[in-house]
Amino acid sequence: MTAIRIEQLTRTFGAVRAVDNISLGIAHGELFTLLGPSGCGKTTLLRMIAGFVEVESGSISFGDRRIDNLPAHRRDTGMVFQNYAIFPNHTVAENVAYGLKARKVPAADIKSRVDKALERVRLAGYGPRSPHQLSGGQLQRVAIARALVIEPAVLLFDEPLSNLDAQLRTEMRIEIRQLQQALGLTAIYVTHDQEEALAISDRIAVLRQGKVEQVDTPERIYRMPQTAFVAEFLGSTNMVPGVAKAFDGRNTQVAAAGTEFTVRGEIASPGAPVLLSLRPEALRLADGTDGPRVQARLALREFLGPVQRLHATLPDGTRIRVSALGGAAFDAVPGAPLVLAYDPAQIIAFPAP
Amino acid sequence: MKRFATIVALGSLVLLAVFLLYPLALVLDASIRIDGTGAFTFGNYAAIVKSRYYLGSIGNSLLAAALATGLACAIGIPLAFCLARVDVPGRALLLTLASLPLVLPSFVSAYALVLLFGHAGVVTTALRGIGIPIGSVYGMPGIVIVFTLTLYPYVVMPVLAGFQAVDASMEEAARNLGGSQSYAVRTVLLPIVMPAILAGGLLVFIEALENFGVPAVLAEDRPFLAVDIFKLFAGESDANPAAAGALSVLLIACTALALLVQRHYLGKRRFSTSARSAPAKLALTPGLQLAAAIMSWGIVIVSLLPFAAVLMVSVLRFRGPVLTWELGLDNYATLLSGSYRPLLNTLTLASTAAIATMLIGAPIGYVVARHRSRLSGLLDFVGMVPFAVSGTILAIGLIVAFNSGPIVLTGGWLILVIAYVVRKLPFAIRSSSAIVHQLDPSLEEASINLGVSPSRTFASLTVPLMASGLVGGVVLVWITAASELSATIVLYSSRWATTTVVMYHAIEGTGAGLAAAAAAVLILVTAIPLLLVNRRVNKQEATVI
Repeated sequence: MTAIRIEQLTRTFGAVRAVDNISLGIAHGELFTLLGPSGCGKTTLLRMIAGFVEVESGSISFGDRRIDNLPAHRRDTGMVFQNYAIFPNHTVAENVAYGLKARKVPAADIKSRVDKALERVRLAGYGPRSPHQLSGGQLQRVAIARALVIEPAVLLFDEPLSNLDAQLRTEMRIEIRQLQQALGLTAIYVTHDQEEALAISDRIAVLRQGKVEQVDTPERIYRMPQTAFVAEFLGSTNMVPGVAKAFDGRNTQVAAAGTEFTVRGEIASPGAPVLLSLRPEALRLADGTDGPRVQARLALREFLGPVQRLHATLPDGTRIRVSALGGAAFDAVPGAPLVLAYDPAQIIAFPAP
Repeated sequence: MKRFATIVALGSLVLLAVFLLYPLALVLDASIRIDGTGAFTFGNYAAIVKSRYYLGSIGNSLLAAALATGLACAIGIPLAFCLARVDVPGRALLLTLASLPLVLPSFVSAYALVLLFGHAGVVTTALRGIGIPIGSVYGMPGIVIVFTLTLYPYVVMPVLAGFQAVDASMEEAARNLGGSQSYAVRTVLLPIVMPAILAGGLLVFIEALENFGVPAVLAEDRPFLAVDIFKLFAGESDANPAAAGALSVLLIACTALALLVQRHYLGKRRFSTSARSAPAKLALTPGLQLAAAIMSWGIVIVSLLPFAAVLMVSVLRFRGPVLTWELGLDNYATLLSGSYRPLLNTLTLASTAAIATMLIGAPIGYVVARHRSRLSGLLDFVGMVPFAVSGTILAIGLIVAFNSGPIVLTGGWLILVIAYVVRKLPFAIRSSSAIVHQLDPSLEEASINLGVSPSRTFASLTVPLMASGLVGGVVLVWITAASELSATIVLYSSRWATTTVVMYHAIEGTGAGLAAAAAAVLILVTAIPLLLVNRRVNKQEATVI
């Protein structure tokens, strides 16, 4: 059983606080993702757990055991690297056996465990091959087998899919997820790809400038972002500044972009400046059903296949994006008026910065 | 990981302190003491400034180095341009041959000049026979010619890399924006290769300034710094260690200044050199194409001719100092009749030194490339100091340091090996750190992550991955140690005389045939291993320079 506890972890590089007083608890068997833009500190945090970056202050524990003072080779983590890091001078089987040999596992056991691990990643029979004979996706599978076979306390993934093409990426993330769940291993997964994070994780921590913005399940992170940064980073939301008006017991009216939006709940006291997050898919072309609506004008239409993206102009000229299904018949030309309907519960308001 | 780096860095710094910095400090110390009494003085420097002879020595050395640098650039840059941008026939072979002069012993080339154009030279005699007088090659002209012909590859290699590093799209962009071909060359191409020209030129300058063998063969009685330092230290009649020390310090100051200028200039001008598509070969008229081919091949052939001449002369018979046209292996018989010992010494000393150099240099190169810290920065700097120190000066320092006291090394083989190792260490460090830079650091991290300690990871993963590159380094160190003269001539004892020593004495004396045979042996000894690992070494030379 490996739960991970990170307490008040800090690391600075020169004047930059790469990891700034981060505390996290990760449950056993959880796939926990560190998500954020480049430079947010997610890789530094992962490398601190692996032991490649020294801890400045704070602590990291696996279960009851504090590990931040152990050298990297004694932490019992299995890391999957961004560029695979397959040893080019060893065969596939030797690569997978590498960690077992370091652990002085008897030779007879090594053979069977390597075979089993390769089978797990659907590379049975590839053992004698040389790494340069393998494709990128296969190399990534070897890297995963090599990390799994030692049955580490914790699996660490450092943007493992970013060197693969889009289709392989979606296949591999499913495989990673299934393997992790089947083996019941605790895993920490670093990525900057929000879709990947949403698809694979039990929980996600969104990082920004070395600090945790929000820790939550994928659904809650997406639907109930706690900060404007999280709302903007996940999905390409429209951020519209406005001013709160009176609360009518159910909804709050917000004056924004030369019109008025209805937002569920008492989001701010009257007169307070707010920032509204309008997800493109929360807005739709009005179709006669009830509910609040706003007037806009079509500026540009992008047809993307399954969906089409409408760029609309609100009365004061603010541009927003609206998602519509690709199959929906739509023949408006730029400049034509649009009526957009929405559900007040799907609009999130943040206090204006 | 940090501990491993610290251990390597500290260990290497101790070695360098004992066998490089301490000897150099003693040379510096000797230069500010009155010989005999040991009292402090600046008199040795004052004596040099007052002496026309020593000023002449400094002037001659600087002038020869400067002229050689200018001429090496004058032939190296066009050659590099032709290799990069003109479709020269036999380009691959040309490239290999062009790097040869760097590793062939330059004093052999100087000796070839004496054989051909010297007082009793083949060409001189022949021309005199038909009534054409010929000027002397001794002194400045001969020395500058030999320096130019043996050192120009230092310019060709980096400048060629520079020309090739200019992405085709850069020149195309310049043309597309309305610049003419010559405007593009002036504004894009030249600024990009300028640092390479400077880097190569300064290497030529430093090597020429420090070189002992070429002036020793060609200077006759004209004063040259490297030769004077040797004579002042080891001369039988006019020994003056204090003056030798002062001249040494001045020589080191000159080379160190040149290196610092280079570092300073290059530090600000690093262009990323990752050309996606090499620029296209120029479309030239057949005439120009022919001219380019003739010039390129001409330069390379002329630079190798002296070595070919030595090989030929070595199988001709000498009658006294006079060469005859009879074929025969008499010279080799003379060389080997004395003793096999010098040849054996050359082989064993070079082998020991080559292996030791890479054993010490590879971990240093690794630490310098992988672990940025103040300690590794210091190591990087100290490791490059031997660049600025000529072999003669290092050897003098080693003698002064280990002639008495707790460690006595003079007269043995170890002091020769130490001198070779220290001299070649910068090369070993550079070449291994270049290899390490090409290794993905996550490979080592993966190994450590899987439970193998950093020091074992270095030994069992990094070293095997570096091995193919290290082989080339070992061979290059081996070659240069086998043909080393400037330190050897100071340090050798009769039991540990090498082929280069035999040749040097044969030239000094009257053993012309013996010298030719020794020179030929040296050429073979250096060329054969080079050809064996040719491709690998070529690549490495380029990265190291």
